[in-house]
Amino acid sequence: MKRYLLAVLMILLLVAGGAASAQDVTLEFQQWWEPELPEGAFRAILDDFEAANPGIKVVTISGPYLTTKDQIIASAATGTMADVVGLDGAWVNVLWKQGALASLSAVMMEAGFDDSELAAQIQLAGETYMIPIANFIYPVFVNLDMLAAAGIDPPSTRAEFAAAAAALTDPDNNVSGWAQPLSLEQPNGIQNDTMSWLWASGGSMLDDMGQPNLVGNEALAETMEFIKSLHDAGVVAPGAFSMKENEKVEEFVNERVAMIINTLAHFTLIRERNPDLNFDITALPAAEGYDGPRGLPYASWGIGIGANTEHTAEAWKLIEYLVSVEGNSKLTSIANAFPGNVNATPDFITTDPLFETAFAIFQEGYLANEFTGLPAAEELMRQFDEPFQFYLEGDIDLDEFLEIAQEEWEAIFE
Amino acid sequence: MVASRAQIRRAKILTWIALIIGACFAGLPVLWMIASSFKSNLEIFAYPPALIDHSFSFKAYLAVLGDPGQLRFFFNSYLVAIMVTICTVVTSILAGYSFSRYDFRFKRFLTLVIIGVQSVPPITLMIPYFGLIVWLGLYNSYTALVLTYMVFTLSYAIIMMTGYFNTLPRDLDEAVMIDGGGSFVTLWRILAPISLPGIVSVGVYTFMLAWNEFLFALTLTRTNDMRTVPIGIHLLMGQHSFEWNQMMALSVLGSLPVLILFLLFQRYFIAGMSAGSIKG
Amino acid sequence: MGAGIDMAKAQAISEIANIGWEQRKRKFLPYAYLSPTLALLAALTIVPIVTVFLYSLVDNVIINQNPPVFVGLENYEEVLTNRKFRGALSNTLYFAIVSVIVHFIIGLSFALLLNTRLIGNKTKALFRVIYILPWVFTASIIAILWRLLLNPHGVINFVLLELGFVQEKLEWLSDRDLALNAVTFINIWAGYPFYMVSFLAGLQGIPDDLYEAGRVDGGNSWQLFRFITLPQLKPIIVSLALLDFIWTIHQFTLIWMTTGGGPMRSTEVLSTYTYKAAFSSHEYSIASTLAMIILAICTFVGIFYVRNQRMTDE
Repeated sequence: MKRYLLAVLMILLLVAGGAASAQDVTLEFQQWWEPELPEGAFRAILDDFEAANPGIKVVTISGPYLTTKDQIIASAATGTMADVVGLDGAWVNVLWKQGALASLSAVMMEAGFDDSELAAQIQLAGETYMIPIANFIYPVFVNLDMLAAAGIDPPSTRAEFAAAAAALTDPDNNVSGWAQPLSLEQPNGIQNDTMSWLWASGGSMLDDMGQPNLVGNEALAETMEFIKSLHDAGVVAPGAFSMKENEKVEEFVNERVAMIINTLAHFTLIRERNPDLNFDITALPAAEGYDGPRGLPYASWGIGIGANTEHTAEAWKLIEYLVSVEGNSKLTSIANAFPGNVNATPDFITTDPLFETAFAIFQEGYLANEFTGLPAAEELMRQFDEPFQFYLEGDIDLDEFLEIAQEEWEAIFE
Repeated sequence: MVASRAQIRRAKILTWIALIIGACFAGLPVLWMIASSFKSNLEIFAYPPALIDHSFSFKAYLAVLGDPGQLRFFFNSYLVAIMVTICTVVTSILAGYSFSRYDFRFKRFLTLVIIGVQSVPPITLMIPYFGLIVWLGLYNSYTALVLTYMVFTLSYAIIMMTGYFNTLPRDLDEAVMIDGGGSFVTLWRILAPISLPGIVSVGVYTFMLAWNEFLFALTLTRTNDMRTVPIGIHLLMGQHSFEWNQMMALSVLGSLPVLILFLLFQRYFIAGMSAGSIKG
Repeated sequence: MGAGIDMAKAQAISEIANIGWEQRKRKFLPYAYLSPTLALLAALTIVPIVTVFLYSLVDNVIINQNPPVFVGLENYEEVLTNRKFRGALSNTLYFAIVSVIVHFIIGLSFALLLNTRLIGNKTKALFRVIYILPWVFTASIIAILWRLLLNPHGVINFVLLELGFVQEKLEWLSDRDLALNAVTFINIWAGYPFYMVSFLAGLQGIPDDLYEAGRVDGGNSWQLFRFITLPQLKPIIVSLALLDFIWTIHQFTLIWMTTGGGPMRSTEVLSTYTYKAAFSSHEYSIASTLAMIILAICTFVGIFYVRNQRMTDE
């Protein structure tokens, strides 16, 4: 009897196991988003996906943001890359060169997907490799109480910004008008807090062919001179040359810096850190006389498919869900991001007045991040940062600085 | 020569002063870390800074301890560090004995190899090493971490064990040999027990490295159930969120087991213990 | 009689055989003791190191789908003639030499303090734990902690200002005149306990009779230290200095996370330079070349160590 039962049990187990292995596809999804989001929130979205797609299981492989790119490169080199990967615009080019990413154009075509709903696609050599599914724009955060005390309005031109920064700076009380993080470990300050000034005034750091255009670029030269004038006037928070993005935010939260260029993604964090902080956001000031649309720096959470995956169709299903109106709304709602699907509406846009302002800024301007998709984008920022520091310190003049940077950039573009 | 009472008194006072200066140097930054772990994230950056302020709470600790994922990191760290320590200590005693007590043809060459192996910056080795581990089928396993940390620690362990054995007089083992003991007996019965302080210091070093290593722990594992405490710390330092107080709390908690272990073993550092056994 | 001769002969032969066996055993034994180590190192390090060496001779590796091109020593030429490389090399040497020397001084001083008989055992136990504290934290948390402490609005500037040692807030990590020393200081803080523990263990190996004999001969404490402690610790000192030199050259996390090699390259060392080549510019061949150059430097230092080892053996 016992034996009989046991045999039945074993057969049942075998059948169940066989059935499961025949149908279930397990997708590995490598990203850095899960630890960034509230506990369990990301998993909940994936659970919804699994419920809607029986037979597909998603396993998350989560790591720290700063090492994710290195990890993807290493895993691609050893053939252990995940099926679906989270991507940053600054990494796409190198992974594409490595042959680590599958072309999404082909996959979308095969699946008969209508890509008109996508807000953007990152293309290289004419094919899509990354779809931004959540976008974080970088407006200027201003401390309203400090502005009110100084009797000024949020600035909308560079001259107004310089005047405001000077008026707000108060060294005796450790207060600076602006903070510019220029750490060489995380050189994204070049993208977010430096080049953004150029983009906001309609300028570009590239020429029509998409090649570096730093020398003889008047708009860029003016921007750099403007930033140097802020440093020379002593209105920039101390420690800029080693400051990182997160320290910039902590300085702002502690009311030692009155204005910062910062991602909307830090919105909840700033409110949680200092509930008494009275702040607002405004568009990045433009150069005098510029009244065209303002380029808005942004960062994205992008998504792509590993070139070695055996489950392309299932991987696409997951991406399709995350860019669909339903999935994208859910994800961007918890991430405080602007959606990658033009029809998705994250709930905060209607419930939070500050996000309404942000959305207005977003609609008046256009997304501008020229580093997205460039080769070795992070290294470009770093190679710009180094001579920039020498320039700010007064070791070299503007022309020398831009010539050095141009030379370094051209070497990378080769 | 007998020191006078006054002299001893003066020496004592000087020693105390030196001890306290040293303790400030070593301990104050750590005190600040502990203080920060009890602050709110806002107050950590407040100026003027205060050791303890109104935001004092155990929230960061509760957040860390209430997260089963973090506890798993602790378990993994323990398991890996203990395994590595045992394996490295045993292997290095054998190797150190060989280098210290024998002359053989390839001795200098092998010493150089052992030094050379750890002279290549680990960062550049990462990708080919990772490929090897995958090829061996050890990816995402404890074995991979244990073997990797053995590779990292063996050089130091062997060189230090050789150094310690070299400080011990050779008459000791020769006496045992004459009494008919083999080399293996000499090593385990005589040299190893006398070298306990050295062995412990090698063990402490090995444990620390395995407990604190980040880069390979991250690369060689795939899922969070295989990962160790330093990765837990890094996960708190995100792109858009950074929990300074939890990071500090996690590293304070992470240091406790190491300190306890050190407390347990530190009797081996008490003066005269091994010297006594040599005389005996 | 014949039988007697035979027996003597047999005995002699067997004795010779025995000696031969003993000799062979003596030849074979050291390798036997080394076998676990050698097996592990052979299995896990030869392939990666040889791979890195081969990478250094070619172009187009890892981050490139084109087939690798053999370029001989071109990569070496490119690296060695680069001005930034030489800057990084000199920063590295400064960082490593200062760290090793100060590590040694602090480590030995603390070990001697903790070994004194003037203080009770319980007190010593307490201080031993305090002194080992910097060692028990992972490098990234040490970097984060010191960035907090050395922040322009951090506690160190606050204390120095209050005490009147400085007139204005110093930018420890973003002032090029201070940054390299600041980073070196952090490395010293983080690394000395390892010396201390090794010396503490070494001090236990010095027989008391040596000191007694020294005292009988009328030696004062400085002489006892100079002529007994130091020579007795010499094998450990040499080993430690060698290893520490290698590790300090490899020290990456601490520098990377505090300054990233800045400001203005003032803390750029070989390890950060190598990392950037590998993971920022994605020039794997150049990174491998740098790795081989670092290997050469360390091996060069290693040769001195091996020489020294031989002298202590004799």
